[in-house]
Amino acid sequence: MSETQTAEITEVEAKSRLLDLKSLDNPKAMKLYRRFDGIIIIVLFLFIVLGIQIHFTLTAGDWDYWIDWRDRRWWPLVAPFSLLLFIAPFQYGLWARVRLPVAGTAVTTLLCLVSWMSRYFNFYEFTHFPMSFVFPSTYIGLGILLDCALVVSRSLLVSSLVGGGLFGALVYPINWAFMAPYKVPVELNGMLLSVADLMGYQYVRTTTPEYLRIIEESTLRTFGGSVTPLTAVFSGLCGMVIYMLFLWVGSWVNSLDKFTKRIV
Amino acid sequence: MNKLIVRKKWFGALLASMMLVLMAGEALAHGERAQLASMRMRTVHWFDTKVEPLNVKVGDIVTVTGKLVTSEWWPNQLASIEDTVFLNIGVPGPAFLRLDSEVNGVPMMRSTAFPLGKVYEYKTTIRARIAGRYHVHPILNVKDAGALVDKGTWVEVAENGSDAPFINEYTTLGGETINLETYALKGVFTWHLIWLAMGVAYIVFWLVRKELFIPRFIRIRELGAERANELMTKRDFVAGSVFFTLTLAIILGGYLWAENKYPITIPLQTGKVEVLPIEVPTGDLEVAVDSATYQLAGRSLTMNFTMTNHNKSPIRLAEFLTANIRFMNPEVNEGEVYEGEEMVAKAGLAVSVDVIAPGETVQVELVASDALWEQYRMTGMINDPDSRFAGLIFYYDDNGERYYQEVGGAILPEFF
Repeated sequence: MSETQTAEITEVEAKSRLLDLKSLDNPKAMKLYRRFDGIIIIVLFLFIVLGIQIHFTLTAGDWDYWIDWRDRRWWPLVAPFSLLLFIAPFQYGLWARVRLPVAGTAVTTLLCLVSWMSRYFNFYEFTHFPMSFVFPSTYIGLGILLDCALVVSRSLLVSSLVGGGLFGALVYPINWAFMAPYKVPVELNGMLLSVADLMGYQYVRTTTPEYLRIIEESTLRTFGGSVTPLTAVFSGLCGMVIYMLFLWVGSWVNSLDKFTKRIV
Repeated sequence: MNKLIVRKKWFGALLASMMLVLMAGEALAHGERAQLASMRMRTVHWFDTKVEPLNVKVGDIVTVTGKLVTSEWWPNQLASIEDTVFLNIGVPGPAFLRLDSEVNGVPMMRSTAFPLGKVYEYKTTIRARIAGRYHVHPILNVKDAGALVDKGTWVEVAENGSDAPFINEYTTLGGETINLETYALKGVFTWHLIWLAMGVAYIVFWLVRKELFIPRFIRIRELGAERANELMTKRDFVAGSVFFTLTLAIILGGYLWAENKYPITIPLQTGKVEVLPIEVPTGDLEVAVDSATYQLAGRSLTMNFTMTNHNKSPIRLAEFLTANIRFMNPEVNEGEVYEGEEMVAKAGLAVSVDVIAPGETVQVELVASDALWEQYRMTGMINDPDSRFAGLIFYYDDNGERYYQEVGGAILPEFF
């Protein structure tokens, strides 16, 4: 009996399920299933692309738009929070129903693709910001870690602790490979700035004044002074909690399964 | 017949959509008419705004200078400029590069705070980056209150005749000269391609298989929750382990590589700077507002004052400035109008007294009237939640010295 099904199945339904199982040996039925699978992939693709673009724009937009917003404190907290709450319900559904641990990688990869399209057409071509100022961050590796933790452990709980933790903790390190040059120091009129700060100052944003950025605000630095590792640990903990919480949301959504009881 | 009607409707909808697109005009302003009249009258008084030169080529420098007074009549319902403010420039995105900005000589890369009733001189230096015709405004972004916009000045930016891409070079503290337009993009592209390849490979591994969604769904339903993991094969486990290890290795490798290549980095910089207001000569004119009325039909503001001249020199009232509109007294030939300056009513101010002699106390009526009241939507002041006005009165002594003083008070509308 399926884990999401609690009621006793009727005799008719049992026969129907037996037929479904036998249909897997039927080449004609399998051909039909593959067509349906294609439709499911297209629907999921469109849903995830649109959903993650809107969701991430609304919850973590500026942190991903501008290089001078990606600080050591808030960006590594906001970005995984935003992504995990979107990924977790999909992960639960795909795992419980079809044992396909791909939600983390699919969401982060599609987010990357759609972000590049948005930055190129909207920010570079249309509004003339240089790509060096508006390129997106990457979270694909974190999505892979999240999914692989589930593959290896085959446990949503363990994958929450390992995958969710790594997803939160490694936001800064995974992006550091190409973000480090933007934190090189420069001087302007006697003031110390990073290259990212200088770009934020030079490339005018009329409605995004300097004070809107949330740079290193909080008291984490008082705990030992090492901002980046401390934030990584805290973000990892938040990642575990958020991922678990929204897996639970996913399980609740999946309990509304009357419409999927019968597929033929 | 029905199909024909449906087609006609679709055609009509399509035509209407196209008309809307074609008829849409250019968005050329920055909302200088959109804000509440009281906000524009009682927040910041911008004056002496000068943008030069007005015709440049890509790569040329444009300077924007001027002064501002923070109003003592700042609306209570609006977050105050005394908390956090940033001097910005209103241009269409990065059509210009901001090279430098300062207030009273203090660099303005950061935010600051302005006490009320003080005078500030600002200067912003920008470099033309994209050819076009732009309405350039000084702007103050006030935290929790939004943007306060000065009047705009049109600047024409022509191509510079070169096909070479725009270059924005800067030298880091490490001595490396970089072009910010394309800086470090090679690394960005490379690393994104690596991760995209990893992501696509992982997805392909899982999605390209004989049994996918529906067959797996059927099998799991039959196996039940306890045995559903039987669908996960040893191959899946090995692939998951390899992807997991490889991903961690790439993250660690990339991090160490960047640490080695860029050993000196700093966090993003932030903070506020302090700007001291400048001292300006006071003209020793004592002004008390007796009444102010706004004639809706006549589009004019009539203000009655009791003024006492404590100056040693006679005084002539030359100008009234409110909401960035200059109402000038044609009887007093003072006050420069800059090239390209907008929102100036050159004969917009009528003053009942020609000269106020030293020591004299007089009743003065100022009438500021012009179509600009209508054009800049100042007639909406009767809809404001706090019916008050404020503005600057400019006056001159016998030596041609200019002084200014803020006035403000309650205002009553006259409907007929």
